[in-house]
Amino acid sequence: MISLFKAVACRAHGHQQVPFQSCLKILAAGMKSFTVPPDYSDVVLPEKPKLKFLNKVPNLKKAKKEMRKLRDIQGPAKAANSFDKGQFGILAMGGGYLHWGHMEMMRLTINRKMDSRTTFARWRINAPYKPLTRKSLGHRMGGGKGAIDKYVTPVRAGRLIVELGGKVELGEIEEVLTEVAKKLPFPAKVVSRESLAEMQRTQQEMEQNNQNPWTFKRIAQGNMMGLRRVISPFDLHNHGRFSGKFHFPWRV
Amino acid sequence: MAATLCAKLLPKHGWLPLTQSVRHGSKAVTRHRKPIPFLKQKLLAVTQYVPPVRGAPPGAYPSKSQEDQEENGFMRLQKNHLRKVFEDCRMIAVVQNNNCNAEDMLILRHRLHKHGISVKFFPKKVTLSFLSNSSYCNMAPLFIGPSVLFVSKEPKVREMLSTLRASPQMVLLGACVDDMLLSVQSLVKYSKLPSMTVVQGELVSGLTMLTSCTASMLQRHPAHLSVLLQQYVKQQSDAEPAAKAEEAT
Repeated sequence: MISLFKAVACRAHGHQQVPFQSCLKILAAGMKSFTVPPDYSDVVLPEKPKLKFLNKVPNLKKAKKEMRKLRDIQGPAKAANSFDKGQFGILAMGGGYLHWGHMEMMRLTINRKMDSRTTFARWRINAPYKPLTRKSLGHRMGGGKGAIDKYVTPVRAGRLIVELGGKVELGEIEEVLTEVAKKLPFPAKVVSRESLAEMQRTQQEMEQNNQNPWTFKRIAQGNMMGLRRVISPFDLHNHGRFSGKFHFPWRV
Repeated sequence: MAATLCAKLLPKHGWLPLTQSVRHGSKAVTRHRKPIPFLKQKLLAVTQYVPPVRGAPPGAYPSKSQEDQEENGFMRLQKNHLRKVFEDCRMIAVVQNNNCNAEDMLILRHRLHKHGISVKFFPKKVTLSFLSNSSYCNMAPLFIGPSVLFVSKEPKVREMLSTLRASPQMVLLGACVDDMLLSVQSLVKYSKLPSMTVVQGELVSGLTMLTSCTASMLQRHPAHLSVLLQQYVKQQSDAEPAAKAEEAT
């Protein structure tokens, strides 16, 4: 009797298995929680949101030739090293000279790619003002300094080049900015207010939590083993973090 | 003119010219990286940033406040069960469970059940919190890793050991038999001991043998003395007529 019942049960089970599995459908209900969109109520767009045209040549009565003065791209930036009005920008990670061509490239790319109804852009550099001289092609050496060839803008490491802001998030304009940053004559990267603050904070933390008791500052200021002989006075201030126009952010 | 100046200035030792006329040229080389002097290279290598040693990740160790918080009703129930087990059972063996699969565990349980030994699982947190407040707190170090309790109302150590021999996954750590904490070696010694009735019989037999021995000794001694005395008297009586004979001659 029991065996018969078992057989029936098995058959029934075998019969039912296929249709049961085929119509078995797991219905899952859930709540989709969307992230809260950022609040742009206090953002005021300026009247002219696009990048201004920068003069190729400064309007001077008398153009004077200058010395090379490479010091103006050496070391960390003293001006325009923090955000003013915008939220996102291009940060120079080394020193260099920007000429009018670079500025036109930046202006055209950013103005074309950005949405001027929601975004604004601002220059954080001046128009080219430093004259560079050059002797004409095929000219013999001697005979004094050459004529002014072009004007450039010196940029030190840590300076912001362009600032963007408005009712945008970083993801929307990062592509444009990285595209521009790649073409600049010095290493540059895209930063936002938060990431710049984060960079400064990590740098401070590195200085505080350095487990190496021998820091550049200590050795240079103490003139240990007479090492001031090979260290420039420039290093006394920057503690080996800058060498000429080059910047080493991983050093403390 | 220059010669006279030199003549005037040379004898003064330690004098430096007020204006240095050495031309250094442009030093702020920016087009390329300057070759770095060896000493400065060494200095840069010595003064590199050394990050601090990373501590343990935040979830690695349980926080003390968490342990206090998680005293829920289920844990209290389990604790009560455990207390009952400790009160009822005379043998509580702690066995480490080294990934014993369900089938082996079933067989082991069945074999132990034949001898009236049951297998109990308790969470480590529950056991430790129970042991810390009870008189069995010396057992707490036995509960390392996944542990299982073998409990029985009678101390059947020999049966348990013979059953455990068949399952190498289970490692005996120690046991509490009749409120006595025993290690594995002492458990083995304990198992080799004869049973209580046998020992009692031996004791009784030994005691009775002693009494019988003394009784027999007590019985034997006066008889032996009387025999000796009789022998002595006999010897004396034999010796007297001989002595008389000698005197006579």
